[in-house]
Amino acid sequence: MISPHTPDDVSRRAFLETVAKTGGQSFLFGSLFVNTAMLRLPQDVASPKAKSETEVGKGVVYGFVVDTTKCIGCGSCVRACRAENGVPDGYNRTWVEQYTFYPDGEVVVNSPNGGENGFAEPPTRNMPAELEKVQPVRGFFVPKLCNHCIDTPCIQVCPVGASFKTPEGVVLVDHERCVGCAYCVQACPFGSRYLNPETNTADKCTWCHHRITKGLLPACVVSCPAEARIFGNVSDPESKISRILATNRVQVLKSYLGTRPRTRYIGLDSEVI
Amino acid sequence: MHHFITEGYVLPNQQHIYWTVMIVLYPYITGIVAGAFIISSLHHVFDKDELKPVSRFAMVMAFAFLLFATLPLLNHLGHPERALNIMFTPNLTSAMAGFGFIYSTYLFILAVEIWLVYRVDIVHLYNETRFPALKPVYWLLALGVLDISEEAKVVDHKVMVFLASIGIPAACGLHGYVGFIFGAIKANPWWASPLMPVIFLLSAIVSGVAMVMICYIIIQWFNGREVDGACVSALIETAWYFLIIDVALELLELINHAYMANEDWTILKTLVTTKLFVSMFIIQILLGSVVPFLAMGAVVVFKQRIPAAVRNVIGVVCGLLLLAQVAAMRWNVVMGGQMFSKSLRGFLNFEVDLGGREGLFAGLFILCLPFVVIFVFSRLLPLWGAVDTFPKAWMKEKPPVRQPLKGFSKFSS
Amino acid sequence: MRHAGHFLRLVALVAVAVVGFLFVRSQVVPKDFGVTGHFRLSAIADEGKREARHIGSDACAECHDDIGKSWKTGKHHTPQCENCHGPGLMHTKVVAEESTTAYPDKILKLKNAIKRPTGIQECKWCHLRTFERPSTLKSIANVEAHVSEHKGTFTKDTKCIDCHNPHTTLVTFDAKGLPVKPKIAP
Repeated sequence: MISPHTPDDVSRRAFLETVAKTGGQSFLFGSLFVNTAMLRLPQDVASPKAKSETEVGKGVVYGFVVDTTKCIGCGSCVRACRAENGVPDGYNRTWVEQYTFYPDGEVVVNSPNGGENGFAEPPTRNMPAELEKVQPVRGFFVPKLCNHCIDTPCIQVCPVGASFKTPEGVVLVDHERCVGCAYCVQACPFGSRYLNPETNTADKCTWCHHRITKGLLPACVVSCPAEARIFGNVSDPESKISRILATNRVQVLKSYLGTRPRTRYIGLDSEVI
Repeated sequence: MHHFITEGYVLPNQQHIYWTVMIVLYPYITGIVAGAFIISSLHHVFDKDELKPVSRFAMVMAFAFLLFATLPLLNHLGHPERALNIMFTPNLTSAMAGFGFIYSTYLFILAVEIWLVYRVDIVHLYNETRFPALKPVYWLLALGVLDISEEAKVVDHKVMVFLASIGIPAACGLHGYVGFIFGAIKANPWWASPLMPVIFLLSAIVSGVAMVMICYIIIQWFNGREVDGACVSALIETAWYFLIIDVALELLELINHAYMANEDWTILKTLVTTKLFVSMFIIQILLGSVVPFLAMGAVVVFKQRIPAAVRNVIGVVCGLLLLAQVAAMRWNVVMGGQMFSKSLRGFLNFEVDLGGREGLFAGLFILCLPFVVIFVFSRLLPLWGAVDTFPKAWMKEKPPVRQPLKGFSKFSS
Repeated sequence: MRHAGHFLRLVALVAVAVVGFLFVRSQVVPKDFGVTGHFRLSAIADEGKREARHIGSDACAECHDDIGKSWKTGKHHTPQCENCHGPGLMHTKVVAEESTTAYPDKILKLKNAIKRPTGIQECKWCHLRTFERPSTLKSIANVEAHVSEHKGTFTKDTKCIDCHNPHTTLVTFDAKGLPVKPKIAP
C-alpha cells in the first residue's frame, strides 16, 4: 500500500480503513481469500489531487495488463488494431517487440512493421552478420501500446486542450481541436503517439474506446490467441484483471519518469525500455 | 512525412521526423529578435552610447523578425487554421500554451516602442512628404495625433523608459521560454535539461548581435558610408562576452551528459560522435565558437591597434560564423533530439528535404521575409538616424533641422 | 494629460482588440469545453461513435454454425475467426442489406466483403518456429521439411490447409496413410 507516489498519511489511512472494513474476512480466510483492494497498486490508490479518477469501487476505472510470458509474437493484435482503427501504414497504435539475447551479451530488438507480418521469416531480422550463426540464449516478445498514464506527459503538454482523459482513465485526442503541433508526440516517452497523415492530428491507442463503451473488449485483446492481453475494470475486485493484478507481480515501462502508467506488464525484463 | 531508413531498433512511430526544419527556424528567428532587442536596449536603457548608430536599426530588425516568428510554426502545424485555439483554450499545464500570449505581449511592447521612437519622424514626414499618396499612411502611423510638442515628447520618453524596462525581461522571457519548450520534455534525454532555456537565451543574444553587426557593416559598405569604429568594437565586444558564456554552458551541458553517463549516454555518445559530428564539433564548436572567440578576442584585447578595415572584416566574418554556430546549435538540439529513438537502441538516417512545404528552401524563403520588411520600412521611415539622414529625394526641398531635446537626445535623434 | 492624446488612441485600439478577441473567443469555443476538465466534453462521445469493425466469433457463428461449432469444440479455438478472415463488419452489412441483387451475385458480394485467407501465411504467423516463441506452442522450423517428413511433395502452391483443417487443425489420413484434403467450408 505504501507507495512513493502517495503521501504517507493518505495511504496509511486508506490502509487502515481497508483493514477495518475487511479485517474479518482477511482474518478468517487469510490464506484462501485475496482481497484485491488491499493489493492495489500505487496507480490505483486515490491520490488527493485525482481522487475521483482513481477511487476504487466508485465507477469504472480501466486497466490493461500485458503478460509478456504468454505472447507468441503472432502479430494478431497489430493487424486487428490496424483494421479496427484504420491506422495508416508506417504508424502503429500497438506493436510487438522481439528481444533476442546472445551469449556475448548482445541484445537484438526487432519489430518489423510493428510485428504486423509476424516474426519468423527473413528478412525481417535486423541483426549483425556475426550473430547469424550464433545460437541465442533466450528471447521473448513484448507487446506495447499506449500506457494511458495517470500523470500523462502528453496531456500536460497539449497547448489547446485537445488531449484529455475520460473519467474511466482513457487518454484520448479530440480530433476537432487538435492543431497538429506534435508536441505530445515528442512528450510521450513510449513512442505511443504519432501524427496521423490522413487527419493531420495527433493519434494514439484509445484502448478501443468505441468498443469498450459498447461493452466489447479492445480489438487487440479479442484477437490475442495467447491471452497475453487482459483488459478490464480495475475498480471491480471480481474482474479478471483485478484477479490477475492480485496474483502477479507487475511492472510498468520507464517507471522512473513518474508517469504512472495504467498499462502494466508481467514478466518484463530490464532490457525492455 | 518521410519514412526514414533506420539503424538498430527504432520504435515504429518514431521512424518519422515530426519536427522539421521549420522548428529549427522558429527558435532561430526568435533568437535574432531577442538579440537585436538587447542591442537596442543596451543603448536605450543602459546608456551604451557606442551602440547609438545601430540602436534604431536593431529595434526595427527585432520587430521585422518577430513579425515572422510565427510563420514557421503556422507552416508546420497540421491544422494552421486552428492555430488560435492556443489562445482561445490555452491549456495552462502546457509549456507551449503560453506562446500566444507571450508572443503577442512582446510584439505589442516592441511595436509601441518603435512607434514612440519614430513618432516625431512620422509627424514630420506627414507634414513634409513629397508623395501625397503616403500622407494617409503617415496619418495612420501617427494614429491621427500630430502633437509633437515638447510636453508630448516628455510623455513619450516616460512611456519609453517604462516599456524598455519591461521589454528586456519580456525578450528574455520569450526566448528563455522557447528553450523551456525543449528543456521540459522529460521523454527526450537530449532535450531534458534545466540549462536549455539559459543556453537558448544566450545563443539567441549571440545570433541577434551577429545579425545586427553584419547588416550594419554591409549596409554601410553598400551605401558608401563610413562604418562607425566604436560601434563595431562595441558590437564585437558584446557578441564576444555572450559567446563565451553561451559556449561555456553548451559544453557544460554536454560534459554533464557524459560525466553522469546515465542509461541514455550510450546512444547520446553515438549521436554526437556520428550523426551530429559535423554540425556539432566542426560547425558549432570549432568554426562557430573557437574561431570567433579568437578573432573577436583579438579585437577586444588589442582594441585600437587593430586597423578599422580589419576590424570590420572580422565583424562580418565572425558575425556569419556566429550565425552558423547558433543555427547549428538549434539544428543539433531540434533534429538531434529526433534522430535517435526513445527505445535508446536505434537511429534515423535523417536527410533534409530541399523542396516541399517544410523543406530547406521554404525555410530560407521565410528567413528572407524580415529583410523585405526592413527594406519597406526603410523606404517609409529613416532606418539609421534621424529624419535629416533620410533620403532627400523623398522630402520637399528642405529637410527639417530639429534641435535635439536637452537631456533626452538619445530618444529623439 | 493634455499631451497624451496619442496614448489615449493607442489604449482605445488595445481595448478594441481585447474586446474583439474576447468576443470571437466566446463565439468560437464550444459550449461544452471545460465542463469536466480542460477539453471538449462531447469529444468523448465523438470517439465512441465509430462502429466496432470486429464483430466477434459468436456473431460469425450465428450464421456459420457448423464451422462455429467445430471451431469452438476443436483444438484451434483460441484464434478468433477475424484473426484470419479480417474484420466482419462489412460482411454483416451486406447480409443485412435489403437487396434486389440476385442470389449468386449476393453470394459473390458477401465473399468480397470478407478476407479469404491464403491458407499458409496465416498459419505461419503463429506456427513457424522462432527462438523467442514459447516451447509449448506447436511450431515447425521449415514448411518444406515438414511436408516431406509426412511423405508429401512440396510445391510453390502447397498450402497448410491442403492437409490441415484450419478450424480444428485436424488431419485425416487415407488408407495408405496419406493426408486427405480437408473439407473446410460446408
